[in-house]
Amino acid sequence: MFCLSLIEHTLRLPPHLLDLPLHVAIRGELEALFLDKVIANLGLCVSVYDIQEIGKGFIFPGDGASTYTVLFRLIMFRPFVGEVIAAKLKESDANGLRLSLGFFEDIYVPVHLMPNPSHLKADPVNSWVWEYEGQSFPIDGTDEIRFQVQSIKYPSIPVEEEKPASPSSVEQGKQPNPSSVEKAKPPNRLPVEQEKQSNMKEKQSKPFAPMVITGSLDATGEDDPKGLAPFHGGSLFVHILVCSSSLKQAIRVTASEIWELLFTWP
Amino acid sequence: MSCRKKANASPLTNFEVLDFLRSRGAAKDPTRVIVSVAPSEVKVFDYLEQSVACNQTRESVAEFLKKSEKYKLVKAEILNIINIRPSSVVDIDPLIDDCEGRLGESIEELVELVAEVFPAPAQLQADEGANEDGEEIPDGKQVDTS
Repeated sequence: MFCLSLIEHTLRLPPHLLDLPLHVAIRGELEALFLDKVIANLGLCVSVYDIQEIGKGFIFPGDGASTYTVLFRLIMFRPFVGEVIAAKLKESDANGLRLSLGFFEDIYVPVHLMPNPSHLKADPVNSWVWEYEGQSFPIDGTDEIRFQVQSIKYPSIPVEEEKPASPSSVEQGKQPNPSSVEKAKPPNRLPVEQEKQSNMKEKQSKPFAPMVITGSLDATGEDDPKGLAPFHGGSLFVHILVCSSSLKQAIRVTASEIWELLFTWP
Repeated sequence: MSCRKKANASPLTNFEVLDFLRSRGAAKDPTRVIVSVAPSEVKVFDYLEQSVACNQTRESVAEFLKKSEKYKLVKAEILNIINIRPSSVVDIDPLIDDCEGRLGESIEELVELVAEVFPAPAQLQADEGANEDGEEIPDGKQVDTS
């Protein structure tokens, strides 16, 4: 779920930080730069683990600050494909489930990866019901849901949507809470694609997610010769192997998703 | 300018991340006003504190690594077992590839080992666990910059 990433970064240390010890100042700068952001293909940065090396400071002509090359490690949230993670239900609708880890909420379980058989109950709110050996188990917010990571995607930032969305969110944030101005993404961030998670949540309508995990809850009875009970200790637990029955359902999905299914064929 | 020297320097267990956040002082202040950790780190801490990692210790993880050697599990499977703490055969089956074929009867043994090495998490034990854990970070070398 978590791993370390070794990164080298050249950063300008503003002169107002000169009174701090160098590694404290650099750590603060790195945290402001990376924390709670998604780096494309690297994951969501949780924390700065350690700073391994700080190069000699360099002052560019005409610049009133020193620039350092820093080698450091970040704790990244980047699950591997096939990992099983415990999550809570956030939303459910006709397209499947949306799960949340508390700090990361862009986990989707599409319909074709839902436990099989299961059906959608539209009354009173959309909720999924998993049928298992004649019994039905409603999937609701109370139980812990363990899902298997099927794929992780890092969608690129949509250019045309960015312009109308970001000024308005900054504008809204300015009046009630000055700290949310800080949250808005400054234009001169890193070249890597990154976006604040918290900033995302403020946008209500179909927020752009820089990192999307597709989870699988696919339970196939065929894999379970012993007929073991799927519920244990109050937690919703399912067997997760992409098998023939799920592929039948997957015919409706796009070609790329079928390719994913075939790719992960056991 | 940022460049990745090594994208996957080493995987961490949930426990290691929790231990790191505790050592940063995430657990010390219940009001969360003075703490030096960022709000995003506190969210991760909250998630981990409610997970089974809350009462694992460095010793118990090391003990499990040693005792699970004979089952010839791959690293990802061991990582998953430590993070999930499967308490029954049903729980452990999806974590291990070809569980029946590779482990056969010894799977029960492995489940017992997990239950024995990692005590069942209880909400009350969470605070206790925080006090027991060492403050040091595993090979987290801070560079002396003087």
